[in-house]
Amino acid sequence: MEDGVTATQVVFWILAVVMLVSAIGVVTAGNIVYAALFFIAALAGVAGIYLILTVEFIALVQLLVYGSAVVILILFALMLTRARERPQALFGRSRPLGIAAALGLLAALIGAIVATTWSTPETSAAIQPVGLQAIGDAIFTIWIVPFIIVGVLLSIALDGAIMLASPDEDDN
Amino acid sequence: MPALEHILVVNAILFAIGAMGVLTRRNAVLILLSVELMLNAVSLNMVAFAVYGQVDFGNITGIVFAFFIIVIAAAEVALALGIVVRTFRNRATANVDEVNLLKW
Repeated sequence: MEDGVTATQVVFWILAVVMLVSAIGVVTAGNIVYAALFFIAALAGVAGIYLILTVEFIALVQLLVYGSAVVILILFALMLTRARERPQALFGRSRPLGIAAALGLLAALIGAIVATTWSTPETSAAIQPVGLQAIGDAIFTIWIVPFIIVGVLLSIALDGAIMLASPDEDDN
Repeated sequence: MPALEHILVVNAILFAIGAMGVLTRRNAVLILLSVELMLNAVSLNMVAFAVYGQVDFGNITGIVFAFFIIVIAAAEVALALGIVVRTFRNRATANVDEVNLLKW
């Protein structure tokens, strides 16, 4: 397994390239709807990498929550708020500064990753796939209080979103 | 399995791309998309650490955190888009540099 390149690694690099190219498309596309479509491709790439990491539960949640619900919300917001009357520039004035700051951040992160010694398992066989039952056990025993809190938070946030977006009584 | 360092480097690149989007875009919804990319990079990192056994709490904690991150990101997207729609109704723009009501 450690000699040469395995099929899993090939699939990982294909997914990584698709994900990163789509992510670049999200931040550079000239059309906001294209940016949203690139975002779907990037999310699908992330879900595929979750599958490679043997956590199929998170991959499914990713596709269901991000790939469908969040993307539909974002498409609605893009189409509701598109300024039709004038062609708008999509990038701010400080774009070169932003690109330089992002590149500096990338250099710092990669430098930290390379400089650190990671104590990874020697063989891939040492990596145990995490079963769905183990995740369920953890969420509903150890993490049950955060789980309830996050459920309350989600319902409050969605109620707040509806209140924010609904028209006032004294509008018009 | 790919090496942990390779996964971390890919996630760092994804995070930096998201940061670039946050710093360069004007439209609030596109900035939100870039923030979501950064969140995805972070939760992918957590899952990678959990699967490769870098944390002491057992194999599960990072995966549970990724799950919670996804839930909170959904809440955040809903709230932020509500704010954007309301801002667009009041100010007729979704560009963050034109919503300059708060000044000092």
